[in-house]
Amino acid sequence: MSQSSSSDQSGTCVLQQEDFKPGARTQMEWGFGGRRRWRDGALLMALFLGGIGAGQFVVSTWLIDSVTSAFVGLLVVGVGKTVAHLIYLGQPKRFYRLFLRPKTSWISRGLIFMVVFVAFGAAYLAPDLGFDWVPWETGSTFSDALLVGAILSASLVMVYDGFVLASCKSITAWNTALMPPLFFTYAVAGGTAMTYLTLIAMGSNIPNEDTLTTIDSVLLISMFALLVIYVLNMKTSTATARESLRRLTTTKVAVAFIGVAIIAGLLVPLSLTLYHEVATTETIASVLLALSSILELAGDLSVRHSILRAGLHAPVFSEGL
Amino acid sequence: MVRWGMVIDLKRCTGCHSCTVACKVEHHTPPGVFWAKVVRIESGKYPTVIRQAVPLLCMHCREPECEKVCPTGATKKQPDGRVTVDSEECVGCRYCAVACPYGARCFTSDWKDYFTGDTKPSSPYAEYSKRKWLEESDKGVVSKCDFCEERVAQGKQPACVNACPCEARTFGDLDDSESEVSQLIKKRRGMQLHPEYGTDACVYYLPAR
Repeated sequence: MSQSSSSDQSGTCVLQQEDFKPGARTQMEWGFGGRRRWRDGALLMALFLGGIGAGQFVVSTWLIDSVTSAFVGLLVVGVGKTVAHLIYLGQPKRFYRLFLRPKTSWISRGLIFMVVFVAFGAAYLAPDLGFDWVPWETGSTFSDALLVGAILSASLVMVYDGFVLASCKSITAWNTALMPPLFFTYAVAGGTAMTYLTLIAMGSNIPNEDTLTTIDSVLLISMFALLVIYVLNMKTSTATARESLRRLTTTKVAVAFIGVAIIAGLLVPLSLTLYHEVATTETIASVLLALSSILELAGDLSVRHSILRAGLHAPVFSEGL
Repeated sequence: MVRWGMVIDLKRCTGCHSCTVACKVEHHTPPGVFWAKVVRIESGKYPTVIRQAVPLLCMHCREPECEKVCPTGATKKQPDGRVTVDSEECVGCRYCAVACPYGARCFTSDWKDYFTGDTKPSSPYAEYSKRKWLEESDKGVVSKCDFCEERVAQGKQPACVNACPCEARTFGDLDDSESEVSQLIKKRRGMQLHPEYGTDACVYYLPAR
């Protein structure tokens, strides 16, 4: 099950030896480990930025009404995710073709959700960002309709990555109904963390702080529960899924999955969030909140990275061929 | 209408890789890109273990996963059953390569020479291959077996079928019940790989025992 590959003198990977090996085959195309090692990693950043950006917009507009934070979320998706996708594509000049097959392709659907989200989000925020010439005002019925459209499309941006992975039938670690809720929950939690960090960086007070902290704690517990179900599901599934689990727990991917995603990204932030409630001074509370948010974001990135790295295709041949 | 398919007799295949080499020569694929390959598997239990060479290529499925997931429409199911990639429409997102259960698709980011370092400049053959490949395919796109479209249009067999010294491969029309491929599938219980995915592959394997 080695991922070794021969390299020429410039270090360029020229042959994927797994091409000629029987048994489960590592997916080498998405995430680090492909033929264009670092450029291929841009896809991971696109998944990450899309989730946390859309999550930040939803949390900022729905729960705390912070225009600046919502705008940051919109930029993370509109600029960050878009640029990451363009870096990843083999032919970025043809990016417009990605929108052509929404009937069957989750990538097309996801990118359409993204464009709709950016359009609705920008239109909703326009009056608050100084574009006074727009013919609607914040708080008007039309503005509320824009917000509903933006929140719905942001939710779809948060969840579509899960459907993209779940649609790959031969990768048993991905082909599970758990993928969409897992990605959605991580996106909302990442969005909450981004919102905290933005407000702390701006030096603003955090409105509805208690509600947000409670939601964050519930999200952290939900994410932990989803990961436990995901792991148990793989343990009781096919041999390929068990091999994926072995990679997640015993190879160097375990550092990202157990070390960063679960311990640093879930358990430590949960403790910090709970401790934050009893912090003696406001400064300590802010530092704890910031630290917890950074760790949550690291965990979010790591869980996406680990899931991509655990992607193994079922063996092409079955016993007795 | 003809529907092209292939039957591979595992009893005859010796794993000589002639098909792999013939495919590379025919299509001038760059290093690391294999449209046809052979892997070796072991099956059975001691003392009746069998080590078997299994040739692999695009299965040209009737319900191709790669076509469903392709966001650009670059992957197309042709009326004659072949699944093709239009390199001018592909954006290189590699969703098809991830979704294909058979590992039949290759992404090429750039042409790389076969021999590097002291052997530069490249041999005339390497230069010729590079030129031919870049004439037919773009950089940064996905490529795959097309059942040797040009050869078949000229009434020839695909290169891998032609090159196989053991005559393990048979190419023909699956819709013609009298064709050799249909007869082989019927008489020797031809099997598809991973029928549970519902891809309905057009490449069949005849069991080794």
